[in-house]
Amino acid sequence: MGKKQVAPPRALPPMPSLKDEIPLSRSKKKKSKSNNVPDDLLQNAGFNTSENKDPLSPERRKKKKKRLSIDAETSLTQHNPALPVVQNGKDTDNQAAEEGTTRKPRRRTKKTRSVGQEFPNELGVEDEDIIPDGHTKIPEQNPAFLASSLTSQPVGKFFVEKNRRFQAADRSEIIKTTEQTDVFLDVKPTWTSMDVSLTAHHIFRMVGLFCCGFLAGYAVWNIVVVYVLAGSQLTNLPNLLQTYKILAYPSQCFLYFLLVLSTITAFDRIDLERTADALRGLLKLDPAALASFFYFVALILALSQQMTSDRINFYTPPTENGSLWQANTEEQILQPWIVINLVVALLVGLAWLFLSCRPDIDHTEEAMFIPEGEDYPDMEKGTKIQG
Amino acid sequence: MLQPGNYSLVLSLQFLLLLFDLFVNSFSELLRDPPVNQLVLFILQDVGILFAAIVLFLMLFNTFVFQAGLVSLLCQRFQVTVILCAVYIALSISLHVWLMNLRWTGANRFVWSDGLLALFVLQRFVAVLYFYYYKRTALSMGDSRFYHDSLWLRKEFARVRG
Repeated sequence: MGKKQVAPPRALPPMPSLKDEIPLSRSKKKKSKSNNVPDDLLQNAGFNTSENKDPLSPERRKKKKKRLSIDAETSLTQHNPALPVVQNGKDTDNQAAEEGTTRKPRRRTKKTRSVGQEFPNELGVEDEDIIPDGHTKIPEQNPAFLASSLTSQPVGKFFVEKNRRFQAADRSEIIKTTEQTDVFLDVKPTWTSMDVSLTAHHIFRMVGLFCCGFLAGYAVWNIVVVYVLAGSQLTNLPNLLQTYKILAYPSQCFLYFLLVLSTITAFDRIDLERTADALRGLLKLDPAALASFFYFVALILALSQQMTSDRINFYTPPTENGSLWQANTEEQILQPWIVINLVVALLVGLAWLFLSCRPDIDHTEEAMFIPEGEDYPDMEKGTKIQG
Repeated sequence: MLQPGNYSLVLSLQFLLLLFDLFVNSFSELLRDPPVNQLVLFILQDVGILFAAIVLFLMLFNTFVFQAGLVSLLCQRFQVTVILCAVYIALSISLHVWLMNLRWTGANRFVWSDGLLALFVLQRFVAVLYFYYYKRTALSMGDSRFYHDSLWLRKEFARVRG
């Protein structure tokens, strides 16, 4: 105890060195908030005791460490100003004696946790001096309004809550900021579910148009092959059956596949859900409505030939046992099949022509993807029609 | 609010189901030997139709209109699709049962009769209508107006209550 009295009085470190130390201790705290700082403090304490000529007893050292660790737990920043005292190290009990007086402002600084407030408070800086710091933070948050914040205008100040603190702000700046946030709020996401729907619709329309053309070409090719194989005036029907029996069923299946896609595309063009409008379009000889009708008829006709196609698929000469084909019945069975195939080819060809000459007609798109703001006119119409 | 990413995923699933259905409808006749191939395809097709219907209903339940309690409005709007789903699955199961019953003992034989052909044509034709209406409904579900309050909805609600 006697040695403590000999110790020189506490000397405050020079200001520039303190300012230099502040960011360092701050960055250390950020890097390792929980573990490193108490260790640093303990190390500092150890450094002091080793440098200090006055050796402490183990009990006192423990007490000191305990005190330091408790202080480090309660407030990390409050030790930084005290560091020079510890580094001086000659007056350890002075610190304890001053604890009662210094604890109160320390607690206040613990709540705020701001460098700008902690140190100036201890250095006797007024609270009003902090306001410019608040002003400097605003351009960081809104750099776009740096120029506007620099111009001072003789208007009343607002106190706006930012980062759990009330900060003074300019009226014009606040107005501009709110306008800016309104603009940000008005900005809608660029990709909506409606766009997804519209894109899918466009892709399907493109695929469908391709299918229509492909189907027309395929049907024409099919009927040409049939007529070539059948010979002039259908005199060579056994040859047709022998050659075409491998192709008959796959061709029928493929025809159905293409017909389905084309029919759906044509229905999309006239918006079949609005049946009344579709029928009106058919009466007005609307190309899309006509194409839909042709595809519909072609589909029914093609489907009706499924049994005949399967019969051709199982063709064996009538002379063989178990043959489905009886002698001299080939023409009876095949002639309607060929005619129907010809009609189907004509229908799908015409439908493709109608759809291709007006590719811009798409009533479904007009009905489904109208711009927002209108008050569900399509739904009201749709319910009326369906009701 | 419906997220575009989620909607894209659901729409892709619905289109995949429709595509598989179309594939089975078109080419199952070519894959009839051995009969078990066709049986598996038919089972998958029927399950796919059921699954597509479930996805559609889940999409309907997700709308603000449904959550506001205006179920009748949704039913009115999409009644054709719902009816077609039911009819199509009934026709498909009937045709599949009939065809498998005839072909189970021997796939490579001529099994067609007038009744079977009529059912076949009906099922394939209803399939086209089902594809069209289902696709249109799936695309309609992307309409953002179904997912928030609007003047139209309030009018309908007032009409229902009044």
